[in-house]
Amino acid sequence: MSDAPEHLVKSYDTELKRLRAMMADMGGMVENQVSLATQAIIHRDNDAAMKVVEEDPRVDALEREVEQNVVRMLALRQPMAADLRFIVASLKMTGDLERIGDYATNVAKRSIVLSQFPMPIPFAGLAHMCQLVQAQLKNIIDAVGTDDTDKAIEVWRSDATVDAVYNGIFRELITYMMEDPRNITPCTHLLFIAKNLERIGDHTTNIAETVYYAVRGEVLPDVRPKGDTSAYAVVRPKE
Amino acid sequence: MSTTMNDQQGSHGGVQVRSASAIGKSSIEISELDFYYGTHKALKQINLNLPDKQVTGMIGPSGCGKSTLLRVLNRMYDLYPGQKAVGKVMMDGQNIIDPGVDLNALRARIGMVFQKPTPFPMTLYDNIAFGVRLHEKLSKAEMDERVEWSLTRAALWGEVKDRLNTSAMGLSGGQQQRLCIARTIAVRPEVILLDEPTSALDPISTLKVEELIDELKHDFTIAIVTHNMQQAARCADQVAFFYIGEMVEVGPAEQIFTAPKEKRTQEYVTGRFG
Repeated sequence: MSDAPEHLVKSYDTELKRLRAMMADMGGMVENQVSLATQAIIHRDNDAAMKVVEEDPRVDALEREVEQNVVRMLALRQPMAADLRFIVASLKMTGDLERIGDYATNVAKRSIVLSQFPMPIPFAGLAHMCQLVQAQLKNIIDAVGTDDTDKAIEVWRSDATVDAVYNGIFRELITYMMEDPRNITPCTHLLFIAKNLERIGDHTTNIAETVYYAVRGEVLPDVRPKGDTSAYAVVRPKE
Repeated sequence: MSTTMNDQQGSHGGVQVRSASAIGKSSIEISELDFYYGTHKALKQINLNLPDKQVTGMIGPSGCGKSTLLRVLNRMYDLYPGQKAVGKVMMDGQNIIDPGVDLNALRARIGMVFQKPTPFPMTLYDNIAFGVRLHEKLSKAEMDERVEWSLTRAALWGEVKDRLNTSAMGLSGGQQQRLCIARTIAVRPEVILLDEPTSALDPISTLKVEELIDELKHDFTIAIVTHNMQQAARCADQVAFFYIGEMVEVGPAEQIFTAPKEKRTQEYVTGRFG
Protein backbone atom coordinates (compact mmCIF):
# COMPACT_ATOMS: atom_id res chain seq x y z
CA MET A 1 0.00 0.00 0.00
CA SER A 2 3.01 2.28 -0.14
CA ASP A 3 1.79 3.70 -3.48
CA ALA A 4 -1.87 3.94 -2.40
CA PRO A 5 -3.61 7.29 -2.34
CA GLU A 6 -3.63 9.13 0.96
CA HIS A 7 -6.09 8.19 3.62
CA LEU A 8 -9.01 10.57 4.21
CA VAL A 9 -8.10 10.66 7.89
CA LYS A 10 -4.58 12.08 7.93
CA SER A 11 -3.72 10.92 11.43
CA TYR A 12 -4.45 7.33 10.32
CA ASP A 13 -1.98 7.78 7.46
CA THR A 14 0.56 9.14 9.92
CA GLU A 15 0.12 6.07 12.12
CA LEU A 16 0.50 3.70 9.17
CA LYS A 17 3.67 5.51 8.09
CA ARG A 18 4.99 5.36 11.62
CA LEU A 19 4.34 1.63 11.77
CA ARG A 20 6.17 1.24 8.47
CA ALA A 21 9.08 3.28 9.84
CA MET A 22 9.22 1.16 13.01
CA MET A 23 9.36 -2.00 10.89
CA ALA A 24 12.21 -0.48 8.86
CA ASP A 25 14.06 0.50 12.06
CA MET A 26 13.63 -2.92 13.55
CA GLY A 27 14.72 -4.55 10.29
CA GLY A 28 17.84 -2.37 10.24
CA MET A 29 18.69 -3.15 13.87
CA VAL A 30 18.30 -6.89 13.39
CA GLU A 31 20.26 -6.84 10.13
CA ASN A 32 23.05 -5.06 11.97
CA GLN A 33 22.92 -7.63 14.78
CA VAL A 34 23.29 -10.51 12.32
CA SER A 35 26.10 -8.73 10.53
CA LEU A 36 27.98 -8.10 13.81
CA ALA A 37 27.37 -11.67 14.97
CA THR A 38 28.90 -12.91 11.71
CA GLN A 39 31.91 -10.71 12.25
CA ALA A 40 32.16 -11.98 15.82
CA ILE A 41 32.45 -15.62 14.74
CA ILE A 42 34.49 -15.30 11.60
CA HIS A 43 36.93 -12.70 12.90
CA ARG A 44 36.76 -13.79 16.54
CA ASP A 45 35.74 -10.22 17.36
CA ASN A 46 34.46 -10.03 20.94
CA ASP A 47 33.66 -6.32 20.71
CA ALA A 48 31.32 -7.01 17.85
CA ALA A 49 29.75 -9.82 19.88
CA MET A 50 29.18 -7.51 22.84
CA LYS A 51 27.45 -4.98 20.59
CA VAL A 52 25.02 -7.64 19.43
CA VAL A 53 24.16 -8.56 23.01
CA GLU A 54 23.75 -4.91 24.00
CA GLU A 55 21.46 -4.25 21.06
CA ASP A 56 19.01 -7.01 21.98
CA PRO A 57 16.98 -5.14 24.64
CA ARG A 58 16.43 -2.31 22.15
CA VAL A 59 15.06 -4.75 19.58
CA ASP A 60 12.78 -6.27 22.22
CA ALA A 61 11.57 -2.80 23.22
CA LEU A 62 10.81 -1.94 19.61
CA GLU A 63 8.87 -5.19 19.24
CA ARG A 64 6.70 -4.24 22.21
CA GLU A 65 6.15 -0.79 20.76
CA VAL A 66 5.04 -2.26 17.43
CA GLU A 67 2.69 -4.63 19.28
CA GLN A 68 1.12 -1.78 21.23
CA ASN A 69 0.69 0.27 18.08
CA VAL A 70 -0.91 -2.63 16.24
CA VAL A 71 -3.38 -3.34 19.03
CA ARG A 72 -4.24 0.34 19.27
CA MET A 73 -4.74 0.68 15.51
CA LEU A 74 -6.91 -2.43 15.39
CA ALA A 75 -9.06 -1.05 18.19
CA LEU A 76 -9.26 2.56 17.11
CA ARG A 77 -9.00 2.49 13.33
CA GLN A 78 -10.71 -0.80 12.51
CA PRO A 79 -8.50 -1.25 9.47
CA MET A 80 -9.74 -3.00 6.35
CA ALA A 81 -8.29 -4.76 3.29
CA ALA A 82 -4.67 -3.85 2.49
CA ASP A 83 -4.33 -1.75 5.67
CA LEU A 84 -5.62 -4.62 7.78
CA ARG A 85 -3.26 -7.04 6.08
CA PHE A 86 -0.29 -4.73 6.55
CA ILE A 87 -1.05 -4.08 10.21
CA VAL A 88 -1.51 -7.77 11.04
CA ALA A 89 1.58 -8.58 8.94
CA SER A 90 3.60 -6.05 10.98
CA LEU A 91 2.65 -7.88 14.14
CA LYS A 92 3.79 -11.20 12.66
CA MET A 93 6.96 -9.81 11.09
CA THR A 94 8.00 -8.05 14.24
CA GLY A 95 7.79 -11.41 16.03
CA ASP A 96 10.00 -12.99 13.40
CA LEU A 97 12.48 -10.12 13.53
CA GLU A 98 12.65 -10.35 17.31
CA ARG A 99 13.43 -14.07 17.06
CA ILE A 100 16.12 -13.36 14.47
CA GLY A 101 17.61 -10.85 16.92
CA ASP A 102 17.58 -13.51 19.64
CA TYR A 103 19.34 -16.02 17.40
CA ALA A 104 21.96 -13.42 16.46
CA THR A 105 22.47 -12.70 20.16
CA ASN A 106 22.90 -16.39 20.87
CA VAL A 107 25.43 -16.68 18.05
CA ALA A 108 27.33 -13.70 19.49
CA LYS A 109 27.40 -15.16 23.01
CA ARG A 110 28.70 -18.47 21.69
CA SER A 111 31.34 -16.68 19.64
CA ILE A 112 32.70 -15.19 22.88
CA VAL A 113 33.03 -18.68 24.36
CA LEU A 114 34.51 -20.00 21.12
CA SER A 115 37.18 -17.31 21.08
CA GLN A 116 38.70 -18.99 24.14
CA PHE A 117 39.40 -22.18 22.20
CA PRO A 118 42.04 -22.80 19.56
CA MET A 119 40.18 -23.24 16.32
CA PRO A 120 41.62 -26.06 14.23
CA ILE A 121 38.56 -26.02 12.01
CA PRO A 122 38.19 -24.12 8.74
CA PHE A 123 35.36 -21.55 8.79
CA ALA A 124 34.65 -21.65 5.07
CA GLY A 125 31.27 -23.42 5.30
CA LEU A 126 30.06 -21.31 8.19
CA ALA A 127 31.25 -18.10 6.53
CA HIS A 128 29.31 -19.06 3.42
CA MET A 129 26.21 -19.74 5.48
CA CYS A 130 26.58 -16.38 7.22
CA GLN A 131 26.78 -14.66 3.84
CA LEU A 132 23.69 -16.44 2.54
CA VAL A 133 21.63 -15.65 5.63
CA GLN A 134 22.75 -12.02 5.66
CA ALA A 135 21.82 -11.61 2.00
CA GLN A 136 18.45 -13.26 2.62
CA LEU A 137 17.75 -10.95 5.52
CA LYS A 138 18.82 -7.84 3.65
CA ASN A 139 16.64 -8.75 0.69
CA ILE A 140 13.58 -9.47 2.78
CA ILE A 141 13.92 -6.22 4.71
CA ASP A 142 14.15 -4.39 1.37
CA ALA A 143 11.10 -6.32 0.15
CA VAL A 144 9.12 -5.28 3.24
CA GLY A 145 10.10 -1.64 2.74
CA THR A 146 9.17 -1.58 -0.95
CA ASP A 147 6.28 -4.11 -1.02
CA ASP A 148 8.36 -6.12 -3.48
CA THR A 149 6.71 -9.54 -3.72
CA ASP A 150 9.07 -10.78 -6.46
CA LYS A 151 11.98 -10.24 -4.11
CA ALA A 152 10.00 -11.94 -1.33
CA ILE A 153 9.50 -15.02 -3.50
CA GLU A 154 13.20 -15.03 -4.33
CA VAL A 155 14.04 -15.05 -0.61
CA TRP A 156 11.40 -17.69 0.04
CA ARG A 157 13.00 -19.96 -2.54
CA SER A 158 16.58 -19.32 -1.42
CA ASP A 159 16.06 -20.88 2.00
CA ALA A 160 16.61 -24.37 0.57
CA THR A 161 20.24 -23.41 -0.17
CA VAL A 162 20.78 -22.30 3.43
CA ASP A 163 19.37 -25.61 4.62
CA ALA A 164 21.66 -27.54 2.28
CA VAL A 165 24.74 -25.67 3.54
CA TYR A 166 23.60 -26.27 7.13
CA ASN A 167 23.36 -30.01 6.50
CA GLY A 168 26.90 -29.98 5.13
CA ILE A 169 28.21 -28.14 8.19
CA PHE A 170 26.37 -30.50 10.51
CA ARG A 171 28.07 -33.52 8.96
CA GLU A 172 31.44 -31.80 8.82
CA LEU A 173 31.34 -30.88 12.51
CA ILE A 174 30.42 -34.39 13.52
CA THR A 175 33.48 -35.73 11.72
CA TYR A 176 35.71 -33.27 13.60
CA MET A 177 34.18 -34.36 16.87
CA MET A 178 34.73 -38.00 16.00
CA GLU A 179 38.35 -37.30 15.10
CA ASP A 180 39.24 -35.70 18.41
CA PRO A 181 37.12 -35.43 21.58
CA ARG A 182 38.83 -32.11 22.39
CA ASN A 183 36.91 -30.68 19.46
CA ILE A 184 33.59 -31.52 21.04
CA THR A 185 33.12 -28.29 23.02
CA PRO A 186 33.95 -25.82 20.21
CA CYS A 187 32.20 -27.98 17.63
CA THR A 188 29.04 -28.16 19.74
CA HIS A 189 29.02 -24.37 19.95
CA LEU A 190 29.58 -24.18 16.21
CA LEU A 191 26.74 -26.62 15.67
CA PHE A 192 24.38 -24.43 17.67
CA ILE A 193 25.66 -21.40 15.79
CA ALA A 194 24.94 -23.09 12.47
CA LYS A 195 21.51 -24.13 13.73
CA ASN A 196 20.78 -20.57 14.84
CA LEU A 197 21.75 -19.29 11.41
CA GLU A 198 19.51 -21.89 9.82
CA ARG A 199 16.63 -20.75 12.06
CA ILE A 200 17.29 -17.15 11.02
CA GLY A 201 16.78 -18.37 7.46
CA ASP A 202 13.47 -19.96 8.45
CA HIS A 203 12.19 -16.75 10.04
CA THR A 204 13.29 -14.83 6.96
CA THR A 205 11.15 -17.23 4.94
CA ASN A 206 8.21 -16.57 7.30
CA ILE A 207 8.61 -12.85 6.68
CA ALA A 208 8.63 -13.51 2.92
CA GLU A 209 5.31 -15.35 3.24
CA THR A 210 3.86 -12.59 5.39
CA VAL A 211 4.89 -9.74 3.12
CA TYR A 212 3.54 -11.62 0.12
CA TYR A 213 0.15 -11.95 1.81
CA ALA A 214 0.18 -8.35 3.01
CA VAL A 215 0.82 -7.00 -0.46
CA ARG A 216 -1.09 -9.41 -2.67
CA GLY A 217 -3.85 -10.64 -0.36
CA GLU A 218 -3.04 -14.21 -1.38
CA VAL A 219 -1.07 -16.82 0.51
CA LEU A 220 2.00 -18.54 -0.86
CA PRO A 221 1.62 -22.32 -1.28
CA ASP A 222 1.80 -24.49 1.84
CA VAL A 223 4.88 -26.34 0.69
CA ARG A 224 7.82 -24.47 2.10
CA PRO A 225 11.29 -24.91 0.70
CA LYS A 226 12.54 -26.87 3.74
CA GLY A 227 15.82 -28.62 3.34
CA ASP A 228 17.11 -29.22 6.88
CA THR A 229 17.59 -32.99 6.89
CA SER A 230 20.13 -33.08 9.72
CA ALA A 231 17.47 -34.62 11.97
CA TYR A 232 17.67 -37.72 9.75
CA ALA A 233 21.47 -37.91 9.57
CA VAL A 234 22.67 -41.25 10.84
CA VAL A 235 26.06 -41.30 12.47
CA ARG A 236 27.64 -44.60 13.34
CA PRO A 237 30.58 -44.58 15.75
CA LYS A 238 33.65 -46.53 14.64
CA GLU A 239 33.77 -50.05 16.00
CA MET B 1 -43.56 -20.10 3.41
CA SER B 2 -45.43 -23.36 3.65
CA THR B 3 -43.93 -24.45 6.95
CA THR B 4 -45.85 -23.93 10.13
CA MET B 5 -44.85 -21.23 12.54
CA ASN B 6 -43.64 -23.79 15.04
CA ASP B 7 -41.41 -25.31 12.40
CA GLN B 8 -39.99 -21.92 11.63
CA GLN B 9 -39.27 -21.18 15.23
CA GLY B 10 -37.47 -24.47 15.63
CA SER B 11 -35.41 -24.14 12.52
CA HIS B 12 -32.89 -21.58 13.64
CA GLY B 13 -30.96 -23.51 16.23
CA GLY B 14 -28.06 -24.56 14.03
CA VAL B 15 -25.01 -22.46 13.44
CA GLN B 16 -24.56 -21.41 9.86
CA VAL B 17 -21.05 -21.18 8.56
CA ARG B 18 -20.38 -18.12 6.48
CA SER B 19 -18.48 -18.96 3.39
CA ALA B 20 -18.58 -18.51 -0.31
CA SER B 21 -19.42 -22.15 -0.79
CA ALA B 22 -22.50 -21.75 1.37
CA ILE B 23 -23.99 -19.40 -1.21
CA GLY B 24 -26.43 -21.60 -3.06
CA LYS B 25 -29.63 -20.78 -4.90
CA SER B 26 -30.80 -17.24 -5.23
CA SER B 27 -34.03 -15.67 -4.01
CA ILE B 28 -33.70 -12.75 -6.36
CA GLU B 29 -31.63 -12.52 -9.49
CA ILE B 30 -30.98 -9.06 -10.82
CA SER B 31 -29.59 -8.74 -14.32
CA GLU B 32 -28.81 -5.81 -16.57
CA LEU B 33 -30.83 -3.49 -14.40
CA ASP B 34 -30.90 0.22 -15.21
CA PHE B 35 -32.78 2.77 -13.16
CA TYR B 36 -33.69 6.34 -14.02
CA TYR B 37 -34.75 9.30 -11.91
CA GLY B 38 -36.24 11.22 -14.85
CA THR B 39 -33.33 11.44 -17.26
CA HIS B 40 -30.68 10.75 -14.64
CA LYS B 41 -29.45 7.18 -14.78
CA ALA B 42 -28.94 6.15 -11.16
CA LEU B 43 -28.21 2.46 -11.70
CA LYS B 44 -26.20 1.12 -14.59
CA GLN B 45 -26.33 -2.49 -15.71
CA ILE B 46 -26.56 -4.05 -12.28
CA ASN B 47 -26.06 -7.82 -12.10
CA LEU B 48 -26.48 -9.22 -8.61
CA ASN B 49 -28.02 -12.28 -7.01
CA LEU B 50 -29.45 -12.31 -3.50
CA PRO B 51 -28.65 -15.82 -2.25
CA ASP B 52 -31.50 -17.57 -0.48
CA LYS B 53 -31.45 -17.22 3.32
CA GLN B 54 -28.29 -15.21 3.35
CA VAL B 55 -27.48 -11.62 4.12
CA THR B 56 -26.30 -9.42 1.29
CA GLY B 57 -24.69 -6.19 2.44
CA MET B 58 -24.65 -3.20 0.11
CA ILE B 59 -21.99 -0.60 0.72
CA GLY B 60 -20.78 2.47 -1.10
CA PRO B 61 -20.59 6.24 -0.75
CA SER B 62 -23.73 8.39 -0.65
CA GLY B 63 -25.43 8.59 -4.01
CA CYS B 64 -23.92 5.36 -5.29
CA GLY B 65 -27.30 3.74 -5.89
CA LYS B 66 -27.51 1.20 -3.08
CA SER B 67 -30.73 2.58 -1.57
CA THR B 68 -32.13 3.04 -5.07
CA LEU B 69 -31.60 -0.66 -5.67
CA LEU B 70 -33.56 -1.55 -2.52
CA ARG B 71 -36.35 0.76 -3.69
CA VAL B 72 -36.44 -1.13 -6.99
CA LEU B 73 -36.70 -4.48 -5.25
CA ASN B 74 -40.08 -3.74 -3.71
CA ARG B 75 -41.22 -1.27 -6.37
CA MET B 76 -41.19 1.72 -4.04
CA TYR B 77 -40.29 3.87 -7.01
CA ASP B 78 -43.77 3.26 -8.45
CA LEU B 79 -45.05 5.89 -6.05
CA TYR B 80 -43.08 8.57 -7.90
CA PRO B 81 -43.76 9.57 -11.50
CA GLY B 82 -40.75 9.84 -13.79
CA GLN B 83 -38.84 7.01 -12.11
CA LYS B 84 -38.29 3.94 -14.20
CA ALA B 85 -36.50 0.61 -13.97
CA VAL B 86 -35.37 -1.38 -17.02
CA GLY B 87 -33.94 -4.87 -16.90
CA LYS B 88 -34.68 -8.02 -15.01
CA VAL B 89 -35.32 -8.63 -11.33
CA MET B 90 -36.36 -12.25 -11.27
CA MET B 91 -38.09 -13.86 -8.31
CA ASP B 92 -39.59 -17.32 -8.77
CA GLY B 93 -39.51 -16.95 -12.54
CA GLN B 94 -41.32 -13.62 -12.53
CA ASN B 95 -39.76 -10.29 -13.44
CA ILE B 96 -40.95 -8.18 -10.51
CA ILE B 97 -40.44 -4.89 -12.33
CA ASP B 98 -42.99 -5.86 -15.00
CA PRO B 99 -45.95 -3.45 -15.00
CA GLY B 100 -48.50 -6.23 -14.45
CA VAL B 101 -47.12 -7.34 -11.07
CA ASP B 102 -49.51 -7.11 -8.10
CA LEU B 103 -47.70 -4.63 -5.88
CA ASN B 104 -49.54 -5.50 -2.68
CA ALA B 105 -48.68 -9.16 -3.11
CA LEU B 106 -45.10 -8.27 -4.01
CA ARG B 107 -44.65 -6.08 -0.94
CA ALA B 108 -45.97 -8.88 1.23
CA ARG B 109 -43.22 -11.08 -0.18
CA ILE B 110 -40.52 -8.43 0.01
CA GLY B 111 -40.70 -6.40 3.23
CA MET B 112 -38.74 -3.27 3.99
CA VAL B 113 -37.44 -1.58 7.12
CA PHE B 114 -36.23 2.02 6.98
CA GLN B 115 -33.50 4.12 8.52
CA LYS B 116 -35.74 5.82 11.06
CA PRO B 117 -38.15 3.67 13.05
CA THR B 118 -41.62 4.29 11.66
CA PRO B 119 -44.11 2.84 14.14
CA PHE B 120 -47.76 3.62 13.45
CA PRO B 121 -49.42 5.81 16.10
CA MET B 122 -51.39 2.90 17.50
CA THR B 123 -50.90 0.10 20.00
CA LEU B 124 -48.03 -2.36 19.72
CA TYR B 125 -50.51 -5.11 18.94
CA ASP B 126 -52.15 -3.16 16.14
CA ASN B 127 -48.79 -2.18 14.67
CA ILE B 128 -48.17 -5.85 14.02
CA ALA B 129 -51.75 -6.84 13.17
CA PHE B 130 -52.31 -3.96 10.74
CA GLY B 131 -50.29 -5.40 7.86
CA VAL B 132 -51.43 -8.95 8.53
CA ARG B 133 -55.10 -7.94 8.26
CA LEU B 134 -54.45 -6.56 4.77
CA HIS B 135 -53.35 -9.93 3.51
CA GLU B 136 -54.94 -12.60 5.65
CA LYS B 137 -58.15 -13.25 7.53
CA LEU B 138 -57.11 -14.61 10.88
CA SER B 139 -59.17 -15.43 13.95
CA LYS B 140 -58.42 -13.56 17.18
CA ALA B 141 -56.46 -16.52 18.50
CA GLU B 142 -54.50 -16.87 15.29
CA MET B 143 -53.74 -13.16 15.26
CA ASP B 144 -52.60 -13.30 18.90
CA GLU B 145 -50.32 -16.13 17.96
CA ARG B 146 -48.97 -14.24 14.95
CA VAL B 147 -48.26 -11.13 17.02
CA GLU B 148 -46.42 -13.16 19.62
CA TRP B 149 -44.48 -15.02 16.95
CA SER B 150 -43.44 -11.83 15.18
CA LEU B 151 -42.40 -10.09 18.36
CA THR B 152 -40.52 -13.18 19.52
CA ARG B 153 -38.66 -13.46 16.22
CA ALA B 154 -37.82 -9.76 16.47
CA ALA B 155 -36.39 -10.32 19.97
CA LEU B 156 -38.88 -7.89 21.47
CA TRP B 157 -41.53 -10.14 23.02
CA GLY B 158 -39.94 -10.38 26.44
CA GLU B 159 -39.68 -6.61 26.72
CA VAL B 160 -43.20 -5.73 25.59
CA LYS B 161 -45.48 -8.69 26.28
CA ASP B 162 -47.13 -6.94 29.22
CA ARG B 163 -47.92 -3.76 27.35
CA LEU B 164 -49.18 -4.83 23.96
CA ASN B 165 -52.12 -2.48 24.26
CA THR B 166 -50.08 0.64 24.93
CA SER B 167 -48.92 3.03 22.22
CA ALA B 168 -45.89 2.05 20.17
CA MET B 169 -44.73 5.64 20.42
CA GLY B 170 -43.72 4.98 24.03
CA LEU B 171 -40.98 2.53 23.04
CA SER B 172 -37.30 3.47 22.85
CA GLY B 173 -35.76 4.01 19.42
CA GLY B 174 -34.15 0.57 19.43
CA GLN B 175 -37.41 -1.08 20.49
CA GLN B 176 -39.31 0.86 17.84
CA GLN B 177 -36.95 -0.39 15.16
CA ARG B 178 -37.31 -3.98 16.33
CA LEU B 179 -41.08 -3.42 16.30
CA CYS B 180 -40.80 -2.33 12.68
CA ILE B 181 -38.86 -5.50 11.92
CA ALA B 182 -41.54 -7.52 13.73
CA ARG B 183 -44.19 -5.75 11.67
CA THR B 184 -42.30 -6.62 8.50
CA ILE B 185 -41.90 -10.29 9.31
CA ALA B 186 -45.51 -10.57 10.56
CA VAL B 187 -46.75 -10.92 6.99
CA ARG B 188 -44.16 -13.65 6.54
CA PRO B 189 -42.23 -12.27 3.59
CA GLU B 190 -39.48 -14.16 1.79
CA VAL B 191 -37.10 -11.24 1.52
CA ILE B 192 -36.42 -8.44 3.99
CA LEU B 193 -34.83 -5.22 2.83
CA LEU B 194 -33.13 -3.15 5.50
CA ASP B 195 -32.18 0.41 4.58
CA GLU B 196 -29.69 1.67 7.17
CA PRO B 197 -31.70 0.02 9.93
CA THR B 198 -29.42 1.02 12.78
CA SER B 199 -28.15 4.45 11.79
CA ALA B 200 -30.52 6.13 14.27
CA LEU B 201 -29.81 3.67 17.09
CA ASP B 202 -27.37 3.59 19.99
CA PRO B 203 -24.61 0.92 19.96
CA ILE B 204 -26.44 -1.57 22.20
CA SER B 205 -29.67 -1.35 20.18
CA THR B 206 -27.54 -1.67 17.05
CA LEU B 207 -25.99 -4.90 18.33
CA LYS B 208 -29.46 -6.24 19.19
CA VAL B 209 -30.63 -5.56 15.65
CA GLU B 210 -27.47 -7.18 14.25
CA GLU B 211 -28.03 -10.25 16.43
CA LEU B 212 -31.59 -10.27 15.15
CA ILE B 213 -30.40 -10.18 11.53
CA ASP B 214 -28.20 -13.18 12.28
CA GLU B 215 -31.24 -15.04 13.60
CA LEU B 216 -33.62 -13.95 10.85
CA LYS B 217 -31.39 -15.11 8.04
CA HIS B 218 -32.24 -18.70 8.89
CA ASP B 219 -35.74 -18.02 7.62
CA PHE B 220 -35.48 -15.00 5.35
CA THR B 221 -33.31 -13.66 2.59
CA ILE B 222 -31.95 -10.31 3.72
CA ALA B 223 -30.50 -7.31 1.92
CA ILE B 224 -29.02 -4.58 4.09
CA VAL B 225 -27.82 -1.17 2.99
CA THR B 226 -25.39 0.29 5.46
CA HIS B 227 -22.85 3.07 5.66
CA ASN B 228 -21.17 1.28 8.50
CA MET B 229 -18.60 -1.03 6.99
CA GLN B 230 -17.98 -2.84 10.24
CA GLN B 231 -21.69 -3.59 10.33
CA ALA B 232 -21.58 -5.02 6.82
CA ALA B 233 -18.54 -7.05 7.88
CA ARG B 234 -20.35 -8.35 10.97
CA CYS B 235 -23.71 -9.11 9.39
CA ALA B 236 -23.32 -9.92 5.74
CA ASP B 237 -22.45 -13.17 4.02
CA GLN B 238 -21.86 -11.47 0.71
CA VAL B 239 -21.11 -7.81 0.17
CA ALA B 240 -21.65 -5.69 -2.93
CA PHE B 241 -19.79 -2.43 -3.39
CA PHE B 242 -21.51 0.30 -5.41
CA TYR B 243 -20.03 3.44 -6.88
CA ILE B 244 -21.87 6.09 -8.90
CA GLY B 245 -24.60 3.77 -10.05
CA GLU B 246 -22.35 0.84 -10.84
CA MET B 247 -21.83 -2.33 -8.90
CA VAL B 248 -18.06 -2.46 -8.78
CA GLU B 249 -17.55 -5.74 -6.96
CA VAL B 250 -19.47 -8.44 -5.15
CA GLY B 251 -18.01 -11.26 -3.11
CA PRO B 252 -17.99 -13.01 0.24
CA ALA B 253 -17.73 -10.45 3.07
CA GLU B 254 -14.38 -11.87 4.12
CA GLN B 255 -12.91 -11.33 0.70
CA ILE B 256 -14.28 -7.80 0.28
CA PHE B 257 -12.86 -6.69 3.62
CA THR B 258 -9.55 -8.52 3.60
CA ALA B 259 -8.56 -8.78 -0.06
CA PRO B 260 -10.88 -6.97 -2.45
CA LYS B 261 -10.12 -7.49 -6.13
CA GLU B 262 -10.99 -4.04 -7.42
CA LYS B 263 -8.89 -0.98 -6.74
CA ARG B 264 -11.95 1.20 -6.09
CA THR B 265 -13.26 -1.26 -3.50
CA GLN B 266 -9.86 -1.33 -1.84
CA GLU B 267 -9.73 2.45 -1.65
CA TYR B 268 -13.27 2.70 -0.32
CA VAL B 269 -13.02 0.07 2.40
CA THR B 270 -9.67 1.36 3.61
CA GLY B 271 -10.97 4.93 3.74
CA ARG B 272 -8.85 6.30 0.92
CA PHE B 273 -11.62 7.39 -1.33
CA GLY B 274 -10.68 10.60 -3.04
